[in-house]
Amino acid sequence: MRWFILSSIVFFVITATVGLLLSLKFVWPEFMGTAKWLTFGRLRPLHVNGILFGWLLAADMGLLFYLVPRLCGNKLWSEKLGLMTVGLFDLVILGAVYTTLSGQTQGLEYAELPLVLDVGVTLAWVFFGVNIFGTILTRKHKKIYVSLWYTMGAVIWTAAVYITGNFLVMFATGVNQANLNWFYVHNAVGLIFTPLGLAIAYYFIPLAVREPLYSHKLSMIGFWSISFIYVWTGAHHMIHGPISQWLQTVAILFSVMLIIPVWTVIVNFFGTVHGRWDRVRQDPILKFLMAGTTFYLLTCLQGPMHSLRTVNAIVSKTDWVVGHAHMAVFGAFSFFAIAGCLYVVPLLSGRKLHSVKLADNTFWLMMVGGLIYFVSLWIGGFMQGLQWNDPSIPFIDTVRFMRPFWIARAFSGVLILAGTILFFYNLIRTFGGTAGGETTTAVGTPVPATA
Amino acid sequence: MFHKLDFNAGWVAVGALLFFLVGATLTTILPQMSEASWTTPLEGSRAYSEQELRGKAIYQREGCWYCHTQQIRTLEADTKRYGWRGVDAPISLPGEYVRDAPHVLGTRRAGPDLARVGGKYDKSWHKTHFNNPRDLVPGSVMPPFPWIVTDNGGQDLKNLIAYIQTLGRTRDWRPDDDYEE
Repeated sequence: MRWFILSSIVFFVITATVGLLLSLKFVWPEFMGTAKWLTFGRLRPLHVNGILFGWLLAADMGLLFYLVPRLCGNKLWSEKLGLMTVGLFDLVILGAVYTTLSGQTQGLEYAELPLVLDVGVTLAWVFFGVNIFGTILTRKHKKIYVSLWYTMGAVIWTAAVYITGNFLVMFATGVNQANLNWFYVHNAVGLIFTPLGLAIAYYFIPLAVREPLYSHKLSMIGFWSISFIYVWTGAHHMIHGPISQWLQTVAILFSVMLIIPVWTVIVNFFGTVHGRWDRVRQDPILKFLMAGTTFYLLTCLQGPMHSLRTVNAIVSKTDWVVGHAHMAVFGAFSFFAIAGCLYVVPLLSGRKLHSVKLADNTFWLMMVGGLIYFVSLWIGGFMQGLQWNDPSIPFIDTVRFMRPFWIARAFSGVLILAGTILFFYNLIRTFGGTAGGETTTAVGTPVPATA
Repeated sequence: MFHKLDFNAGWVAVGALLFFLVGATLTTILPQMSEASWTTPLEGSRAYSEQELRGKAIYQREGCWYCHTQQIRTLEADTKRYGWRGVDAPISLPGEYVRDAPHVLGTRRAGPDLARVGGKYDKSWHKTHFNNPRDLVPGSVMPPFPWIVTDNGGQDLKNLIAYIQTLGRTRDWRPDDDYEE
């Protein structure tokens, strides 16, 4: 599991660098522009796939290899299988770096990787799933904590969603294919990264704040409602597009209903920390967790709003959506994963975190960078959307208008990358262990209590 | 009832899968059976030629679809903005896309929509524009693609332009037939 975390943070630094390069291209379009391998259309899938799979999914898998056995009161079902999973997965990611840069692509969002790599991902996921279910079925603690529900849900949903989005989708064409593609893209966030991120947050928030979970019942409502509601919403990416009105309306209705599971999670997390905010002030891990929770709330309020036809007519296809997507994947789920890594790596290496101060600085760099990123694109994107709705404004004028916002975004990229590098350095030093000293994490029990 | 689920991993897994399958089936499998226009090409449309398909492959390889959508939405602003010489662009229909695999509807407009761009600009315009977009459109943020112009003795460029000139032509929307070559 340490290999998963290690490889994930390496890819985090690499793909965040690619992200910064991309943002610079919006300011200087000719920047590295005449090199085939480094053109926008090839770096973009590298950034997106690298962050989603190379960093986030790998980090999530590594963290689950840690927390699932602890919640079950036993060992990981097979350490060997776990190592094979990491090896295979990293091979796939390295292959993906080559294929994206050389322009080999299936031409579908989030599904750019060629077939042979898709098979690799699927196999790695089956290995992972077998290991997780093996551990859960042989558990010693009979009661299943909510993190385990989300983990099991994620294993199953990911398999279904990934196979649809990468294999079945190739048999469809046109609008039909677009519908499957959006089903996959949307559920990749909602039924892969959301449950994995929530599994991690549900585990670490009570532990880090040293309080029982606020409400077991709420967590249950949240889980069952998200498993029913989320999957219906893919078509909200094509509102006003060439797709049946009834499907659009269904997607909008269910998008709005998503407020239910989100609200249960938010109340639960804030309820757990209620009255203990002094601990958040002192602990960068809790800062990441609670900022992630807040961004999760904001993202999930934006989502239903975008799906409304009137709002969609303004924000759809603008940079607003890019800001929204980054808040979900970076602001919420990456923050959860970062907090998990900061918590787990010292325990794995039997040492204290190299520097709490450095972790604090990481948080503030990422927080400020993230906010500049999100807000500049929301404002710019919203205004550009309004301009698009006035056909008398030439398109190129709406592009020139974005320049200051793109400069701000590139600047925020510098801050985020700096935070990423600090995070990487901090963990490597903890793994490498020059800091010395035994771990002093004051966790009595590795299982969060429920109230 | 739900209380039992706290202790039974099998039921959590089965329940999560069943809940998921309801929405998955109704939003992905049902529509392709109920919407004929999703799988029937628009009347009067033709299959892509070999050259156009090679051009579309370049469109896919270079990721044009990351920044250009191909859909005139049911919004008046879209029909006006992507119209040409006083004629509004017709709203996109599902039947127009049936021959596209991968689909190229796109999701982001860093650049303008291309659903009706076929025949708006001639070959020499495209050649100059691909080489460096800012030579023709100051302020553009499109990347330069000099290799498209030079690779394979200019054949790549010809193929790509052949593909681009097909966009929107199925609809035959110019009353005076004033398409550029």
